[in-house]
Amino acid sequence: MRKVQCRNVPTLQSLIRLAVLVIALLPCCPPTVRGEETYTFDQAEIEKKPWHLGGYAEIRPVINVLDKDAALYQLQYYKDDPGSTITEYNGRFQLDGSYEKGMGRVYIKTSTDYSYSSESGGNGQTVIYEGYATLKPSDSWKLEAGKKNLKWGKGYAWNPVNFLDRIKDPYDPELSLEGYVMATVDYIRSFEGPVRTLAITPVLFPVNDHINDDVGEDSHLNVAVKLYLLFYDTDLDLIYAGGGTRTPRYGMDFSRNLSTNFEVHGELASIQRFRKQEMDTDGTLGSETHDTLSGLLGVRHLTTFDLTTILEYYHNGTGYSANEMTNYFNFIHSGYQSYQSTGSDRQLVFAQNLTKGSYSRPSPMEDYLYLKLSQKEPLDILYFTPSVTVMINLNDQSHSITPELLYTGITNMELRLRAAFIRGARDTEYGEKQNDYRFEIRAGYFF
Amino acid sequence: MKGETMKMKCMSSLLLILILASPIFALDGTVLLKQVDRNLNPESYEMYRKLINVEPDGSKKEFTLFSLKKGSDKIAALFIAPASENGRSTLRLGDNMWLYIPNVGKPVRITSLQSVVGGVFNNADILNLDYAVEYNVSGVEDAGNEYLLHLKAKTRSVAYDQLRMWVDKDKKLPTKIDCLTEANMLIKTIYFKEHKDFGGGIVRPAVIETDSPLYKGYKSIMIYAKIKKRSFKDEVFTLTFMPNIDSLR
Repeated sequence: MRKVQCRNVPTLQSLIRLAVLVIALLPCCPPTVRGEETYTFDQAEIEKKPWHLGGYAEIRPVINVLDKDAALYQLQYYKDDPGSTITEYNGRFQLDGSYEKGMGRVYIKTSTDYSYSSESGGNGQTVIYEGYATLKPSDSWKLEAGKKNLKWGKGYAWNPVNFLDRIKDPYDPELSLEGYVMATVDYIRSFEGPVRTLAITPVLFPVNDHINDDVGEDSHLNVAVKLYLLFYDTDLDLIYAGGGTRTPRYGMDFSRNLSTNFEVHGELASIQRFRKQEMDTDGTLGSETHDTLSGLLGVRHLTTFDLTTILEYYHNGTGYSANEMTNYFNFIHSGYQSYQSTGSDRQLVFAQNLTKGSYSRPSPMEDYLYLKLSQKEPLDILYFTPSVTVMINLNDQSHSITPELLYTGITNMELRLRAAFIRGARDTEYGEKQNDYRFEIRAGYFF
Repeated sequence: MKGETMKMKCMSSLLLILILASPIFALDGTVLLKQVDRNLNPESYEMYRKLINVEPDGSKKEFTLFSLKKGSDKIAALFIAPASENGRSTLRLGDNMWLYIPNVGKPVRITSLQSVVGGVFNNADILNLDYAVEYNVSGVEDAGNEYLLHLKAKTRSVAYDQLRMWVDKDKKLPTKIDCLTEANMLIKTIYFKEHKDFGGGIVRPAVIETDSPLYKGYKSIMIYAKIKKRSFKDEVFTLTFMPNIDSLR
């Protein structure tokens, strides 16, 4: 049992109390001005303009309760002593705009993020998340070029077939991400019969020193293609990606409603000649190349009392086994001991570089289970959704439990209170994370 | 001769009774239901709707949608307001339903009983097909100025197992619909109000109000605008097209 010392306990408790109070009082606050029962529908509300400008602003204070014995704590804070808690203040400002004329349209989305923490001070950056031009000569054809996301796959928490996007965070799967530069074509056909829809999406994906430079090492023009079918009421995708900077990848996914309240989905992804970097027991870094197979199977169920369950099993064919992760954690622990006894951080700097790669990606191990239970509008409180998410690493039985309260009753505003309880023994994925607990409030406003 | 006259009188009276009774006995519920469907909407159309959820304390939340429908089983809707919902779209192809959220970036399957807007209206109410497509008429009653149609869902995938629909005899338009479960439990009541001429021969209720014993004190209102006939290609009603529905406005 690990001990957690909370030096900033008054701050933590105050924040939690404030958050609980805010969420508890929200349903009591009328979201809009009360009025007579007169309903108007002004024509100006539906008039379409050629341009659009909108955005999203968010503040998100976070308290991290740290685990000083964890490998990732030692790796990150070996030079400093941040204490038992770190408070972060995060801000996000996103702008999106578009202009449409005839069959053409241009779209851009930027994201400015600023973060201040008691440990590392403040830092911020602005990134163009998406920026592309669209040409739509007919309802069957669409051509796009620029920076964009593809979002392939049917899984909620993971998408092993999403070969050409950044990996999403399974704890925040709906968060918008930075795209890659590419050119795509969509061609759609509809039919009567077992195949109701056919859509084909070829993709050109360039990689060089200036474009998409974090995807592979050489300069190449990669290609990918997705074939979508609505076949006997089942969504079916067949995917291929390859072309030079990465080895060939094949994928398929499906989704189907088995009844009005029960959906099943899955993904299968094969990567040929995948090169996996791994550390052996004595800390030597090596790599091996092999074909991998990843898969996901999930269900979504809705009860008569509006409880939604999302359950997914994910096998990551490119992931690390429990032994391989233990070697990595042992390397960090021995590096930390070496730093304490000799003052040399050579081993820890080496481990930090490794951590920036495959060891630090979301869900780095082989088998995971994801469960999310969300109850819509309990006790007749409109727009209020409490939920709990459980993520279990099946290889080492470590896990995280994330309860959440979400309120969307104020027009264009989203308020979320979330806590994360991160549990696991030594040498396990969640047990070696730098946090034991995490508490955050997110207030977002759309405009 | 007297007997002949009596026989003729009896025959005439019987014929008169049959003629007077014929509107009820000869009424074909299925034909009436199809008339109701056509009077509510053209078979293929576009329209705008505003949904207002009203809470017991009078506070409201509004959503504005652009909707399009083709044939008996293809319908799509795009949220254009408020800003938090802008760009979301829903698609229904028969019993298949999907929701597209711009941030999520891909369509996910949803069910007819869920509600993408919260409140009393669910997805089946927002993406409603013709009643005759989903229901059989199990009975017709004469209820004064109205007919009362008893409707039974054709399959278990329909959101409500039974409907009781009151139809204005003259206008052949619904005035009220009770939505019930298989066990006859009332889920919600839909009221059709404020008849309006939308042009192009479309005269129908412009306001639909819903309340539910399951949500005591809450109600949802749907206001219609700019309903007009329009034909679309089938390709518009596909997952791949969902992010582009706004291009049809």
